[in-house]
Amino acid sequence: MRTDQPEQHRPPPRFRVSLFVTCLADLFRPSVAFASIKLLQRAGCEVDVPLQQTCCGQPAYNTGDFDSAIPLAQQTIEMLEPADYVVVPSGSCAGMIVHHYPRLLEGEWQARARELAAKTFELTTFLSDVARVRRGRRPAVSLPTVTYHDSCAGLRELGIREQPRKLLRDLCQTEVKELKQTEVCCGFGGTFCAKMPEISGKMVGDKLDNALATGADILAGGDLGCLLNIAGRARRLGKPIEVRHIAELLAGDLDGPAIGEGRR
Amino acid sequence: MTPDARTEILARVRGASRGAPADSVRRELAGLGSAPAADPPAADLATAFLANVLRNRGTVDCARNRSEAVKAVGDYLYRQLRSQRLVAGNDPNLAAMPWRDSGLLPRFGELEPGAPAALSYARLGVAETGAVVTFTGKGNPAANNLLPAYHIVLVASDTVVPTMEEAWQWIGEEMAATGRPRGINFIAGPSSTADIEGQLVYGAHGPHSWHVILMGEEVPADALERARAIAGP
Amino acid sequence: MKQNSEAFLDQAHDALQDSAKVRRRELMASFTPLARDAAMDSFGKFEALRNHVKRVRQHALDNLGHYLVQFEQEALANGNRVHFARDSAEMNSIVLNICQQHGARRIAKGKSMVTEETGLNDYLQKAGLAVTETDLGEYIIQQAGETPSHIVGPALHKSAAEIRELFLARHDLGERSLETTADLVGEARTILRQHFLDAEVGIIGANALIAENGYSMLVTNEGNGDLCANLPTVLIVCTTVDRILPRAEDATAMLRLLVRSATGQPQTCYTSFYSGPRRESDLDGPLEAHIVLLDNRRTEIMAGDYREMLECIRCGACLNHCPIYASVGGHSYGWVYPGPMGSVLTPLLTSLEKSHLLPNACTACGRCAEVCPAGIPLPDLLRDLRRDETAAKLSPSRWRLGMRLHAWLARHPRLYHRLTGLGIPLLHRLGRTRGSFRRLPMADGWTSQRDFPAPQSGTFMQQYRKAARRRGARRPQ
Repeated sequence: MRTDQPEQHRPPPRFRVSLFVTCLADLFRPSVAFASIKLLQRAGCEVDVPLQQTCCGQPAYNTGDFDSAIPLAQQTIEMLEPADYVVVPSGSCAGMIVHHYPRLLEGEWQARARELAAKTFELTTFLSDVARVRRGRRPAVSLPTVTYHDSCAGLRELGIREQPRKLLRDLCQTEVKELKQTEVCCGFGGTFCAKMPEISGKMVGDKLDNALATGADILAGGDLGCLLNIAGRARRLGKPIEVRHIAELLAGDLDGPAIGEGRR
Repeated sequence: MTPDARTEILARVRGASRGAPADSVRRELAGLGSAPAADPPAADLATAFLANVLRNRGTVDCARNRSEAVKAVGDYLYRQLRSQRLVAGNDPNLAAMPWRDSGLLPRFGELEPGAPAALSYARLGVAETGAVVTFTGKGNPAANNLLPAYHIVLVASDTVVPTMEEAWQWIGEEMAATGRPRGINFIAGPSSTADIEGQLVYGAHGPHSWHVILMGEEVPADALERARAIAGP
Repeated sequence: MKQNSEAFLDQAHDALQDSAKVRRRELMASFTPLARDAAMDSFGKFEALRNHVKRVRQHALDNLGHYLVQFEQEALANGNRVHFARDSAEMNSIVLNICQQHGARRIAKGKSMVTEETGLNDYLQKAGLAVTETDLGEYIIQQAGETPSHIVGPALHKSAAEIRELFLARHDLGERSLETTADLVGEARTILRQHFLDAEVGIIGANALIAENGYSMLVTNEGNGDLCANLPTVLIVCTTVDRILPRAEDATAMLRLLVRSATGQPQTCYTSFYSGPRRESDLDGPLEAHIVLLDNRRTEIMAGDYREMLECIRCGACLNHCPIYASVGGHSYGWVYPGPMGSVLTPLLTSLEKSHLLPNACTACGRCAEVCPAGIPLPDLLRDLRRDETAAKLSPSRWRLGMRLHAWLARHPRLYHRLTGLGIPLLHRLGRTRGSFRRLPMADGWTSQRDFPAPQSGTFMQQYRKAARRRGARRPQ
């Protein structure tokens, strides 16, 4: 936040955005949240982070515990609905709010869920389609070769495919080296990877093989669940590919260790 | 069959149905409109039909009239089998063909074991699917359609309709006039299977070769050529 | 069919060990979606067609009371005997009675998943009848004593070499090489030809029943179903009450979706409509035709939350696109219907107790729903089954309690942030050198297959609050 500039010289924000960081970013990879704030601010947004946020309720919902998911969804809606825009650096969490809250809730809560859904966006979608970010005069972030994993929820619930690629092209002058079978699931699936580890292991093994086959240095994606899964497999097998979140790449935050990597 | 099963099932089905009166059901159905069909591969109906027959791995020929048609049948048999042995159903359309123009006379009746080729006369052709339609009946033994290695079908070009929906209109009119045939068969290719490792093989139980001869004056002279170009190699 | 869905994980484990079969499934999983996509792209109006057919299907189900009565009337007028069966036992018994009334000993059978459901073949064979499956894939697994692994291609799990060994062992035809797939098909053709000619009864399924005229529709590429329907003197059509469509054109509209979704073809080689027994004007055909309409819990499903599942047209596209099906194959699911559609149907047609693992064999990737020609929201139905599983306390208690605890904590942000603010930095410090954990308490499932990445630092909320407090302290009063 640029508090160094005197009030009267700061241009008015183009958008007022509440950031829903997601529980995985909060707990495992705060750099994703910080990078998201940076990107949104560069795009002219005023960003606030509601301090009561915890989790969107997806784990309970997907395992069939609707009784636990409903009050959590209601709490999240209540917390986020005052915002003009809600931005989420995850296709699955954004999808939860946009598609599944209206399914899960009824009556008045469903109406409120629909209203929130209308102003909630996944990060790359917001930057690309709403804020229409361009590089402008900022120098391009220099990146090694990048391949990209499209998370299923992002792809199929929210239609996210072109947006991260466009942003990589524009902000980083990078063309994604596409991996084979990019539309096939990586085997994370929330609790699935722990409930059915062998099957999940086969799926993530295939995904990792496809990523490695591109020869790219970095595997990027928009969903930490998928990335933790793939990075964990890469580290177990000792494969050198770096796994990072798209927000980190776009913001140029590549100094710290990649996901699952120790101190250099 | 126990009466109880029927009563019980009907009761359960009714319980889970809307119970709307029949004319309301009919109106609602009519209001749903028609299904989209596949676009024809050519503007001309005959060309579109031939192209789809080719895509179905059939072979095709055109004949301007019945005399050319019987010659085409004879030529096909000679090319494929070096033989004149042919069975044809007792269809009056087939019986009335000028067979002496081809020097070939089929045996009329049902396919006997080991006979390699049979000839059928189609009721109509469907351009959308490249299919020929036959009805069961005295003129068309099922065995002739389903058992020989080589199946030849004659289709009159003025019986080719664009889509399945039009085919049903036509068939409906037939049924209103002559009653419901026991079987209505849409045939769109030689018999095939991909059940072993997904590999496509022809002649599973039925014919491995399916030859369609389109008969009619008004079939454009270049229909065959254009159909072959559309269907590709 | 005997069910073994409880053993899903063990069966999946076994399936993953056979590397040749794993490889075959990988090939199928990469090829079949391409064939389907090419066919749909070429058709060009998938969404419009899917929407139309769905509306017709919903209308047909909503008004099934009307259409079932109409179908029965028309089918009877066509000369059929129409039977109703509440469950598998009734259907099997009806079919056996018909066969016994005719003193039939040999049955020629077309592919019918419904008869797999009821275990008809076993039942008839125990009563001393010889039943021969005439669909090549079904014939192969019948000879091998196996069950179908896919609802469209039941023998696709078998290699040509295995089938060759099988034919050499089972067909007493002397020395021959059977080198190519064409040779295998040719041999099956010869063997089965005699069965068609000898059978006294033909049993087939139906892809649809037409209410307006009492016809049943059957589609095949081989033509075997037609041989069963035309040559034997008795025909029995075995199907379920929910297969009824209003008009013939509705059935062929549905076929535009079915075949492209199943095999990538625009239509099947044989699309046939049969009205009933032989008439005056017929040269051939069955002297007697029966239609057996099975309920087997369809009416129960109609009346419940999962009604939409009845719109399934059995194309198998969801199997072909499911990464879990691709990994473990159809046999792992332990019953007639595998893959996403099987994971919904098996609990509904058998019991959730016996098959609750199946709805969990899903990452909600959504590929199935994307291609489903009936527009069935399979991931949502599977999640709803997991809801039912939770309510019935069928899932392991540690999972249920864990989820409840996590959600409860998440509803108490201050406590959540305090606890994570303590635990995460600790985990970070423990893991920061290596970057990930080989093992972690309570995370065996995860760590059995991959490392667990260590947290990057303290939590974001922790750092953000601290920074906010600092900024607040810096700001002039």
